[in-house]
Amino acid sequence: MRFFKNPNINFLKYRKLFVSLSITLIIACVIITIIEGIEYGIDFAGGTEVAISTSKPIPTDKIRSAVTKSGLTGVEIKSFGEENQFLIRTVESANAPELISNALTQAFPNEKITILKVDKIGPKIGSELRAQAFWAVFLAVLVMLIYLAFRFEFIFGVGAIVALVHDVILTFTIAVTLNNLGIVNLEVNLSILAAMLTVVGYSVNDTVIIFDRIRENKERHKGMNFIKLANLSINETLSRTVNTVSTTLLALLSLFIFGGPVLQGFAFIMIIGIILGTYSSVYIASAFVIWYMEKVKKIDLESGFREVIGAKAE
Amino acid sequence: MKKYFGKILLVVVPVIAAIVLLYPTYQASKLEEKEAQAIAKAKKASNSTDSLAIIEVFQKQYGEALKTAKARRLKLGLDLRGGMYVTMEVDVVKLIEETAQSETIDEIFKDVIAKTRKEAVKSDEAALNIFLRNFNNIARPQGKSLLNYFDVGDLRDASEEKIIASLNESIDKAIDQAQEVIRQRIDQYGVSEPNIQKQGSRRIMLELPGVTNQDEMRSLLQTTARLEFKLVRNYKEIVQAFYKIDKMLSNKIKAGKGLIEEPIVELDTLTTDTLVAEQPKTKQDTTKTDTTKAKNDTANNPYAGLPPEEAQRRYALDHPFTTLFSTFFVPGQNQNIVPIYYTSDQFPDGEYIFRIPKDSIPKLQVLLSRPDVAALIPADLEISVDAKPDTRLKQRQNIEIFDFYALKKEPELTGEVISNARASFDPTTNQPVVLMSMNSDGAESWARITGANLKKRIAIVLDGRVYSAPTVQSKITGGNSQITGMANTEEAHLLEIVLNAGALKAPVQIIEERVVGPSLGEDSIRSGLNASLIAVILVVLYMMMYYGLSGALADFAVILNVSLILSVLAALGGTLTLPGIAGIILTIGMAVDANVLIFERIREELNNGRSIRSAIDEGYRKALSAIIDSNVTTFFTGAILYFLGTGPIQGFALTLMIGILGTLFTGIIVTRAIIEIFMAKGATSFDFGQPKIKQNN
Repeated sequence: MRFFKNPNINFLKYRKLFVSLSITLIIACVIITIIEGIEYGIDFAGGTEVAISTSKPIPTDKIRSAVTKSGLTGVEIKSFGEENQFLIRTVESANAPELISNALTQAFPNEKITILKVDKIGPKIGSELRAQAFWAVFLAVLVMLIYLAFRFEFIFGVGAIVALVHDVILTFTIAVTLNNLGIVNLEVNLSILAAMLTVVGYSVNDTVIIFDRIRENKERHKGMNFIKLANLSINETLSRTVNTVSTTLLALLSLFIFGGPVLQGFAFIMIIGIILGTYSSVYIASAFVIWYMEKVKKIDLESGFREVIGAKAE
Repeated sequence: MKKYFGKILLVVVPVIAAIVLLYPTYQASKLEEKEAQAIAKAKKASNSTDSLAIIEVFQKQYGEALKTAKARRLKLGLDLRGGMYVTMEVDVVKLIEETAQSETIDEIFKDVIAKTRKEAVKSDEAALNIFLRNFNNIARPQGKSLLNYFDVGDLRDASEEKIIASLNESIDKAIDQAQEVIRQRIDQYGVSEPNIQKQGSRRIMLELPGVTNQDEMRSLLQTTARLEFKLVRNYKEIVQAFYKIDKMLSNKIKAGKGLIEEPIVELDTLTTDTLVAEQPKTKQDTTKTDTTKAKNDTANNPYAGLPPEEAQRRYALDHPFTTLFSTFFVPGQNQNIVPIYYTSDQFPDGEYIFRIPKDSIPKLQVLLSRPDVAALIPADLEISVDAKPDTRLKQRQNIEIFDFYALKKEPELTGEVISNARASFDPTTNQPVVLMSMNSDGAESWARITGANLKKRIAIVLDGRVYSAPTVQSKITGGNSQITGMANTEEAHLLEIVLNAGALKAPVQIIEERVVGPSLGEDSIRSGLNASLIAVILVVLYMMMYYGLSGALADFAVILNVSLILSVLAALGGTLTLPGIAGIILTIGMAVDANVLIFERIREELNNGRSIRSAIDEGYRKALSAIIDSNVTTFFTGAILYFLGTGPIQGFALTLMIGILGTLFTGIIVTRAIIEIFMAKGATSFDFGQPKIKQNN
């Protein structure tokens, strides 16, 4: 089987359009994130969170009024996977699980209330984990820059990192925005962090494969202008890109659909991240290197571009 | 064929390794089913001795196998099996408060403490620094110094620096004490496979599978320890009590009331002879052991003339209680200890030693808790078991034998009087010792107690378990004691921790607590497994569709990779968590990518008109740099996560890192070996899913 027979698509023709699109999107999402704020999950915010299930579905309002009567403050209630499962969160309280369980048993005497899980996180731990998460992402990016600078020309390393930062910021802010809009339940917690770090790995992986091809083609087609070289390399790796993205997405989609509430957030972030990572390898990483050569190094890359492409397409 | 032997090995060895390493996991789950059946049966049994007997039958048959299988199997994280996860931290503020001399605490000090507590909850600053700052701001203007509140012992060189240094030392020691106390309590509570780890210098992380009673566990963890000194009363009266217990129990059994056919313990599991022979030195350095075979030479031996096995069987039947352990008589200082049998109610006056193998301790405790047994133990005595097995025996023979003692119920002294304890070496003998000092109140009582109990043993009891029972050599005045007879420095260090637990309450607080109910655990493992299975099937189908036979080969490599991840995890003693499963899924993606890169390259080379052989060579060669680069960068991410992250994140990072190594091995080396083996059979083409082209050879 084969999807593409000698593909020759001029991917980089519209790079300026896509770069502008990316920049606009980042600005928009960052602004929304700043205005709306980030909703931290229990891992980072601290507090007590109790997951319960009831034998029959109960409207969230009724659960809320029952729990509020127990005297707990700052109560938040969300549905959790199934219709009869709820996440109840309150500010730090030593015996919140017992209070909640008692209140619900009183309010709904005919229902069987089961406590699925309890998380109690002290405020200190929460802020420590936030700092830890930040350092983890920062260090990962730094180490990659160093590695890539060794393996490729320095500017390629920078290009990969620019694409990476693009992916991380967009994935994160899109997730936060979707959560704020109430479309998906994506509070920032530890599994989201794990997903973000996986996105970091994947994004660089994808970029590296195209850069690796550019490096190889540079030797083979000495003197070819860089835009053509990049386009050729993207085309040559196209069927790899499509196959890898498809298999990974297949795996992630099954996690998202069948993985249950705990894996869902993780899978969703990964799906966004992988699509962005693939896109940014072409339109951010390669486009950045081209921009650098044209604008900073003042190399004329455009001239002769069309005719060379034309000659090959024939 | 010979030429390809190495390549065949490359494929076969990892497959066998995966099977061997994962077999215990399979075995353990089978045996656990059987164990659950035995326990269910035991629960139906009419009395506790019967249920013990049922469980013992299971233990005898499968116990060892289950233990080994459990130790080697792949462990599931708490998120998958349910349980309680707790992080505890030294409560420095409380520690400062408790270290201050209680009679000096006034409103000013309380004020400082209250303010410190409030700030410490939120701040990242060390609590001691917050305390000192508040002390300077509030107490100092009112003419107070740290010397007003804290005892430094010697007044001549008392200084604030010294107090701060000693507070710092207490804080550093507190976590070790808390860990020891908690470990012991968890052990006694009966949590299976608990994981207790120190995190950094101020925290303890606990993973307690299967625990759902949070209230009980919380109070167990947060209650401070109780250290007591109790007199050892291993004398004739307790041995006589044991004799009566034997009589009473064996009569009940014979009358059919105990309902157990077989004796609770077979005598051969407790061969006192070997115990004696193998243990030339006991804990009490003053006692010597009988190295000759001590035969039962009591005058009126009721088993005389019987064959040895029959005699043993009868003896065990008549002595259901005392056959659980071995009893020795200590005739006097520097004399050999003599094994004692309960054949008559005549026992010599003097001191006794009781030793029990680890497996028999639960039975001993069950029997001791029976009201009819408890009634026969003298009212002022209690039985306490050692906290740890005899070190020398454990090192030499790898068997776990515990001493137990009859202690006077009323403690002579409690741990608050200890001001400091320190493990050290005796300069003359170079043996480990522990130096213990007491405050003035304690020293006074201690002199009286030691004076009244010369050449007798005093047990150091923490939370009801005996850590040491040294013999008093002389009257100790002045409060400074030296404890000798430890087997090694670790034992001395443990005793230091225990004694300091009396001096200092080592208050700890829970700062993080996660409980996963068993039903959620079940749900998440089911959906996690289902989702992973579907993911694998989809990926396998896609690869076979696109790349044909070589796609199937890649699938084999991926599945082998996943099995290897699980095996390595099992071998390293790691746990599989939900994020870990996510890591495996990501690995599947990366592993497929490696093969996609290779196959695409081979197809390209075939398109360029190369022969199949050279296309394969070139394909692998050229794809390698991209595969290495991408995997190395992802490996870095994994490594950073592993070292910076905690708990669940680490699980994810570990599987990811193992998976990447697996990908490089299975994706590049194993698939290549298989292709070579195929080619060796004279194949002229190989299906990479490429459009069929007739080849001219």
